[in-house]
Amino acid sequence: MVRVVIGRIVSSLLVVVSSSVLVFVIMYLLPGDPIDSMVNVAATPPEVIASLRHQLGVDKPLPQQLADYFGKLLRGDLGTSLLTSEPVLPKIAAQLPPTLELAAVSLAIALIVGLALGVLSAIHRNGPIDWIARFVGLLGISMPNFWSGILLLLVFSIRLGWFPAMGSDGWRTLALPSLTLGLIGAGFLVRIVRNSMLEVMSEPYIVMLRAKGLTERAVMYRHALRNALIPAITVIGLLAGDMLAGTVVMETVFARQGIGRMISDAILSKDMPVVQGVILFSAVVYVVINLLVDLSYSWIDPRVRLRHRTADTGGAIR
Amino acid sequence: MVKLPKTFKTAALILLLVLPVALSACSANNGVAQEGGSSGAAAAADPSPGASSAEASETGGELSYALVSSPDSLDPHRSGLSVSSRVIRTMFDNLVVQLPDHTIQPWLATEWTESEDGLSYIFKLRQDVKFHDGTPFNAEAVKYNFDRVIDPNTKGVSALALLSPYESSEVIDEYTIKLTLSKPSRAFLGNLSAAQLSIVSPTAAAQSGDRFGQHPVGTGPFKFVKWEDNSEIKVERNPDYNWAPALVDNKGSAYLDGIVFKIVPEDATRIGSVQSGQALAAESVPPQNVAALKSDPKFKLLQANTIGLPYTLFINQNREPWNELQARQALQYGIDAGTIVKTLYQGTYEQAWSALTPGMFGYDASLENSIKPDADKADSLLERLGWIKGPDGIRQKDGKRLTLRYVVTSPNREKRNDIAVIVQQQLKKIGIEVEVVVTKDIRTEIFVNDNYDVFGNSDVSGDPSWLSVYYHTAPKGAIGNMSHVSAPELDRWLEQGAVEKDDGRRAELYRNVQQYIRDNAVMVPIYVFPYTVATSRSVENLKFDPLGFPLFNDVRLTK
Repeated sequence: MVRVVIGRIVSSLLVVVSSSVLVFVIMYLLPGDPIDSMVNVAATPPEVIASLRHQLGVDKPLPQQLADYFGKLLRGDLGTSLLTSEPVLPKIAAQLPPTLELAAVSLAIALIVGLALGVLSAIHRNGPIDWIARFVGLLGISMPNFWSGILLLLVFSIRLGWFPAMGSDGWRTLALPSLTLGLIGAGFLVRIVRNSMLEVMSEPYIVMLRAKGLTERAVMYRHALRNALIPAITVIGLLAGDMLAGTVVMETVFARQGIGRMISDAILSKDMPVVQGVILFSAVVYVVINLLVDLSYSWIDPRVRLRHRTADTGGAIR
Repeated sequence: MVKLPKTFKTAALILLLVLPVALSACSANNGVAQEGGSSGAAAAADPSPGASSAEASETGGELSYALVSSPDSLDPHRSGLSVSSRVIRTMFDNLVVQLPDHTIQPWLATEWTESEDGLSYIFKLRQDVKFHDGTPFNAEAVKYNFDRVIDPNTKGVSALALLSPYESSEVIDEYTIKLTLSKPSRAFLGNLSAAQLSIVSPTAAAQSGDRFGQHPVGTGPFKFVKWEDNSEIKVERNPDYNWAPALVDNKGSAYLDGIVFKIVPEDATRIGSVQSGQALAAESVPPQNVAALKSDPKFKLLQANTIGLPYTLFINQNREPWNELQARQALQYGIDAGTIVKTLYQGTYEQAWSALTPGMFGYDASLENSIKPDADKADSLLERLGWIKGPDGIRQKDGKRLTLRYVVTSPNREKRNDIAVIVQQQLKKIGIEVEVVVTKDIRTEIFVNDNYDVFGNSDVSGDPSWLSVYYHTAPKGAIGNMSHVSAPELDRWLEQGAVEKDDGRRAELYRNVQQYIRDNAVMVPIYVFPYTVATSRSVENLKFDPLGFPLFNDVRLTK
C-alpha cells in the first residue's frame, strides 16, 4: 500500500513538472512580449525596448530561461512579476483562497444537484422529473459559462438586486458565480449518474433482490444507488479540474479576486513568472485532488486493488 | 487493506461528498475575517458611513469607482498605462498644470523663467507642501524625481520620453531649482504636467525601490491606503492638502473621505454594478449602454474626449502600390469613417478628421468634412493607375490582384477589429481585396517585418510636438513612423514646431503638418476616443483634465 502511494506521488510530481515545462515552452513560442503591455511600442526607441527586455531577462534563449526558472524553483523561489516586480509566491498565496472557495462551492452544488437529479431521473425514467433533469443536464453542458453567468447577473443582481454583481467578500458574492459553475458541473454529472443508475438497475442482482421481496425503496437506495455512485466518484477529480478552470472566466465576469483572473491577465501581458507560478499551483491542486479520489476510490470499493492499476470495475458490491 | 465495517464505509462516502461544502464554509469564514474592505451590500446601502445625515450631502462619503482594468503599477515614473494614471492622479501632484486653453499654470511650482536660449528653466517652488509620509517638498525632492526618471533602474519608458530632452538639475536654494535641457523644447513645460512626471516622495521611493509602485507616496489630495490584487485600490483624504491646481475649484482637501477603485473588466458587470448600486461610478461605458443610461434619471453619463492622436489607419508607403499618391487617395475616398463610427459606436464616438484630435493645440478645424467618401472617385483613381476590375470584382494589373494587408491587434480594443471588417467590405466595393490579419505580436509583424499595408494606432498626448514620433522622417531603426512618410517640408515644420516660441506661428506650423498629411493621404483618421463614466445621480462635480483623466477634488455625494 505504502509503495503504491509513493509511486502515485512520484508520478504526480512528474505531471506537475512536465506541465510546467510544457506551459513554459508554449508561452515562449506564443507571439507577443511583456514589453508590449508596458509601453507604446510605436513611440518607444528600439534601444530602450532592447535594454528593458535585457533587464527583464526575456531576451535570453529558451533553454537558459528554463534552466534559470527551475534552478530558482528548486530553491523555493518562484520569481517576481515582470510587470510589478512583486514576488510571485505571496501574490498567489493571497489570491488562492477565493479561487478555492469558488471551486469548492461550485463542486458542492454540482454534486448535490447532479446526484439528486441523476438518481431521481433514473428512478422515474421517462416521467416529468426525468424530463426536467435531462433538460437541466442539456442546459448545463451546452451553455457557455460566460453567457449563463451574465444572464444570472442580469436577472438576480441588476433586475432583482438579490445578490451583488461583483466582488469576492462574503457568501453573497459567491452565490452567482458558484451557481453558474455548479450548474454546468451538475449538467455533466446528471447524465453520468442517470446512465450508471439505469445500467445498475438492469443488473440481474436487482431482479434477484426484488424476487427476494425487498421493498423498492431498499432495492434502489441501499443497493442500486451505492453501486451506481462509484463512477460518479471517479469523475469528482475531473469535475474539480473543470471547476478550477471555470474560475478563470467566472472571476473575470464577476470581478472576483483569484488565481484564475491572475493567470488570464498574466497570459495577456506575457508575465511569465506569474503564469508559471499559477500553473504550478493549479497543477498541484489538481493532482492532489485526483490522488485523493484515486485512493479513496480503492478504499470504498474493496475490489479495486491499487496494485492492479487497471482496476476491475465491472461487478458490483453486494 | 484494513477491513472496515460497512456503515463506516458508507459514512466515508457521504463525507467525501460533503467535504467540499464543509471546506467552503471554512474558507468563506476566512473571507469574512480577512480585511476585505466594505462589502458590496454595505457600500450600496450607505455610501457615506461615518458622516452625519446633515453633513452627508456636503462632505464625506466614499466614492466607489469601477475601473475596466488593473493598473500595472502606481509608480508614476514607471507606468505608461492610462488606467494607472487615473489612480496616480489622485495621490500625486506636478510642478505645473496645463489648462484646456493650453496655458501652463502653477501647481507645486509657483513661478518659473525660461532662459533666452531655451536650454534651462528656473522654478520657484511652494514652501508649504509635505509628502504624505511627512517628507518636506523642496528643490532636493524635485531633483531626486527627475534624476530618478532618467535612471535606467527605474525602468521608466513613458516618463523618460516625456522628460526628454532633460539633462540635469541644480538645486539653487531650498525652494529654487534649475533644470537644464540638452536642446530647446516647446513641449517640455507642458510635459511636466503629465501624470507620468508626478513628484514622488524621495524617502518612500528610496525605501521601496522597485516596489514603490505598490506603496505610492506623493503630495496629492488623497493618500494611498491599500491595493488588493484584482479587487480594489483604496485611497483616503489627505487632510493637509491645500495646493490644488487651477483645474479644480476646491483648493483645499477633498470633500470625499476616500475613493475605492474597483477593478471590473467585464462590461455588463461594471455597468451593472452602478445600476444595482454596488458602485457609484463606472468608467468606459459600452456604446450600447450609453443611450439607456442617458435617459435614466437615476444616472448621469459623463464624457470627456481624450486628446492626442486619434485612432489612425497608417498607410505603409514602403509597399506597392501604396507608395503612389493616387492609390492612397483611393483609400481616403473608399474608407467611410462616418459610417464606421455611426455603425459601431452608435453616435457615442466622434469621427476624426485630422492627425490631431480636437482640443489639441494647433488643431485644424478646417479639415473637418473636407473629404467625403466617394467610390466613383476612388474607382477612377485606381483605374488611372492601371488597376482594372477582374471577373470577381477585384482589380488586377499585370496579372497581380490588388490586395491590402490590414493588421489589427488582439484583443479587440474599442472594436478596432470590427473596423477592419467594415473597411474590408467598403474597399471591396472599389475592387480592393482586404486581408485582415489579427495578431498579438505587433512588434514582429509591424516593426520588424514591416509586413502590412494598413495598421491602426492611437495615442494620448498634451502637445502637438508628439506628431514627430509618427510623421517625421524616421532615423534608422526608429519605429514610430508607421506610414514611412518622409518629406523635407514636413520634417522642417515638425522641427520648427518643437521649438517655436510664438504661439500663432507655432499653430500655423502644425496646421501645415495636418494639411500635408491630409493632402498626401498619409493616413486615414477614424475616431476620437471619448472617456466615458456612468455615475449615480448622487455623484456631483466629477471633472476631467484636458487629457480626459478624472479629477476628484470637487466631488461631493448628495443623498
